[in-house]
Amino acid sequence: MASGGDPKWQKDAADQNFDYMFKLLIIGNSSVGKTSFLFRYADDSFTSAFVSTVGIDFKVKTVFRHDKRVKLQIWDTAGQERYRTITTAYYRGAMGFILMYDVTNEDSFNSVQDWVTQIKTYSWDNAQVILVGNKCDMEDQRVISFERGRQLADQLGVEFFETSAKENVNVKAVFERLVDIICDKMSESLDADPTLVGGAQKGQRLTDQPQGTPNANCNC
Amino acid sequence: MDFQNRNNTANKFVCPSDRQLALRAKLKAGWSSSKSSEPLRPEEQEAIISVIRRNEEIEVAERLRVGRLVERVEKIKQHAVERGPNCCRLCGDTFGLLRGHRIICEDCRQAVCTKCSLDINIRYHTSEKSREIWLCRICSETREMWKKSGAWFFKGLPKYDIPRSASATPTPTPCIGGTMAGDTRAVQSCHGTPTRPARIKKLTIRVNDSSSSSSHSEPEDEVDGGPAGASASNGSASGTGGISKSGSTTGGRLQRDDSFRLRAYGSIRSFIDGGERKLSNSFFFGRQQSHRPSECPDYDSVSMSSKLRRESSFLRRGSVSSSWSISDSSGSGNSGNSHTTQSQSQSQAQSTTQSQSQSQPYHQQQQQHCRDPLLGWLEIAISYREAFHSLDCTMVRARDLPAMDAAGLTDPYCKLNIITPEAHTKYTRWQRTKTVHKTRNPEFNETLQFVGVEPEELGNSLLYVALFDDDKYGHDFLGAAKVCLSTVHSTTQYRISVPLGAEDQYSNAAEMSQNWPNGKMLLSLCYNTKRRALVVNVKQCINLMPMDNNGSSDPFVKIQLKPDAHKNKKHKTSVKWRTLNPIYNEEFYFEASPHDLNKEMLILTVWDKDLGKSNDFLGSLQLGAQSKGDRLQQWLDCIRLPDHFHEKWHCLAPDNPAH
Repeated sequence: MASGGDPKWQKDAADQNFDYMFKLLIIGNSSVGKTSFLFRYADDSFTSAFVSTVGIDFKVKTVFRHDKRVKLQIWDTAGQERYRTITTAYYRGAMGFILMYDVTNEDSFNSVQDWVTQIKTYSWDNAQVILVGNKCDMEDQRVISFERGRQLADQLGVEFFETSAKENVNVKAVFERLVDIICDKMSESLDADPTLVGGAQKGQRLTDQPQGTPNANCNC
Repeated sequence: MDFQNRNNTANKFVCPSDRQLALRAKLKAGWSSSKSSEPLRPEEQEAIISVIRRNEEIEVAERLRVGRLVERVEKIKQHAVERGPNCCRLCGDTFGLLRGHRIICEDCRQAVCTKCSLDINIRYHTSEKSREIWLCRICSETREMWKKSGAWFFKGLPKYDIPRSASATPTPTPCIGGTMAGDTRAVQSCHGTPTRPARIKKLTIRVNDSSSSSSHSEPEDEVDGGPAGASASNGSASGTGGISKSGSTTGGRLQRDDSFRLRAYGSIRSFIDGGERKLSNSFFFGRQQSHRPSECPDYDSVSMSSKLRRESSFLRRGSVSSSWSISDSSGSGNSGNSHTTQSQSQSQAQSTTQSQSQSQPYHQQQQQHCRDPLLGWLEIAISYREAFHSLDCTMVRARDLPAMDAAGLTDPYCKLNIITPEAHTKYTRWQRTKTVHKTRNPEFNETLQFVGVEPEELGNSLLYVALFDDDKYGHDFLGAAKVCLSTVHSTTQYRISVPLGAEDQYSNAAEMSQNWPNGKMLLSLCYNTKRRALVVNVKQCINLMPMDNNGSSDPFVKIQLKPDAHKNKKHKTSVKWRTLNPIYNEEFYFEASPHDLNKEMLILTVWDKDLGKSNDFLGSLQLGAQSKGDRLQQWLDCIRLPDHFHEKWHCLAPDNPAH
């Protein structure tokens, strides 16, 4: 019993021991491999059996990147239309999106544009997106070439990776890249607009000086 | 179960706008279109609810975490003293003469000391860009909080819970960080106000006192000056007994005038220092002055007003204005007329300052000049040549600059730059005039040219002039002036006489623009009355020169008091290996009486320890009654306020005083 309580406590302590928390969302058509992708990254496991995700799910993973501990809460969404109400509700909290299609499935690639529209509609405007073509291990069944994927990514102005959850290709790279992009966005947004942080500070500063002035004047 | 309600409790859903709803309808997604699909089965609902519960756990922890971050920043903010522009915002350390190390925070633009600020290097991982900025601890912590809480992303602090212990802060404030930040600022400013009027009051007392506008200040001055005069005359009686009657009066008068000048300087400094201590520079200066023959040409004014000796308040006023009238008669400046009339009317120094500064566009400037009416005047002539897009700025002369050495003299030079409407300096390189040595009323007559000034720029730019005292061991700030360039026309030369104001961010920038290749030393001095010894604490050095092949040095410091009446031995610190920024924190005692210290000189030399060959010289520093500015101030502080440590940064000079 004590042993049962102990790991939990340790887990809690470890839970709080991080610098940044990023919420990421994996989206894309049904059966492109979103859940497999997440399981590969979070648990380093893979199963080829297909179980449709019910609504939403998430996993938490803490990574160490650039001397900072980053806690990732990665949301796995159901690709099926019927859960759309629930999944879109979580777009708003997400800082990064992994937009996934299946290189063996033309339909999933064609709907990338729709998913981008979804992101634009529901997410914060500075959310970062990475386009991922999954199942790149299945070369014999491939219908979407790497070039087409890259072109689409260029067109959308996002970064592009081809991955395989099964063979563990580029899975870690995608997350690391997304974390980097978000970190940069963070530095940039604070750096470009320092007043953002200060809030009222700027106004404060302007009023600060005249505050002292009248008093100093009248005694002259 | 109703999922929309669930979502509401998680507060993920903000009611969408009409446009959003229309878009959703197009997408066949969202509330408006999903009605058609079949309802969720109980087991599905169960699964989703469990996920939402798990998420809620995380959210609660997250809210607490953000609460802790907010609390941490609030605590730091509460500890900030916010004493005024010349004190560090956080620890309240006065910059006083430690000017090189005032840092202006990038975010709040307030001045902080080095201890309370961080040099932050912003690196971008996806590109090669990087940027270095200085932030005060409050702003760096606020930035960290914004990063860690995710507020940077949502443009406002997310929901948070302050941990239980903190009861004062209101319970979870709703999103939108702006309001939260605003609240805390308000609280903080309330917290700050009680101190501010107090400081201003203190200031005005000082100003009245030193400019002698009220008779009330008179007795205080007498008390101040009385013992000084007495001791000085004692000194002259015992020392050089054979001074003629008139000579001694002039001497006394001279001393008097000087002591006033220096005291005025001191009182400004004491305001800057934030201390309430009575300054009696006159004691030390008076002593030296009484031995000094009165042949210095800058003190012609003295003989003129010597009759006024008894009427101390009038005399002091006279001493301020008399030097003007002389300057007017000698100089042929356009502004001469206005000066004479003003000095004739004998209206108090401040009123002239005010009328002068009213011609200045900046409110702030007026304030500064009111505060320090005694930093002197600067006469400038400006003309603009449209054909060349060049602005010619002639530094004609300066008057009544603060004294910087024991003889009451200064070695002034000007540094100029143009300040753009965005409050940046236009040129990275500051232009400087030559140094005019040993005078408080220098005639510069030097024209400096700024090329590439567009005509439309003139309207909203400022010419910034900072005056510094030239010295081997660091350049001390004398005064600064801003001139609005909107009045400058291409056809005529524009002449103006401006009062010099206190230091600010630009004068710091001007000072910083000079690099000191030999580095700096933090030195702490204390006169220990029990042991009758001078305690020298060599704290640390920074930016020393690399002397060894490995790109660093092995520095140590030799310390010596000269002339060595008490047969103190020389001291040296330990060697700090392979560093350019050694921290010593070592104390040394030099036996000496306070009187001796007036004649002695503390010599510090920094060396690079080399095994097998002679040590390399890295830099030197001399302190004593003969030194100037900051060095002199520290030396005098140390004697005047014994049993206290007086700490200052000093620049190291490249020449070895032993040679």
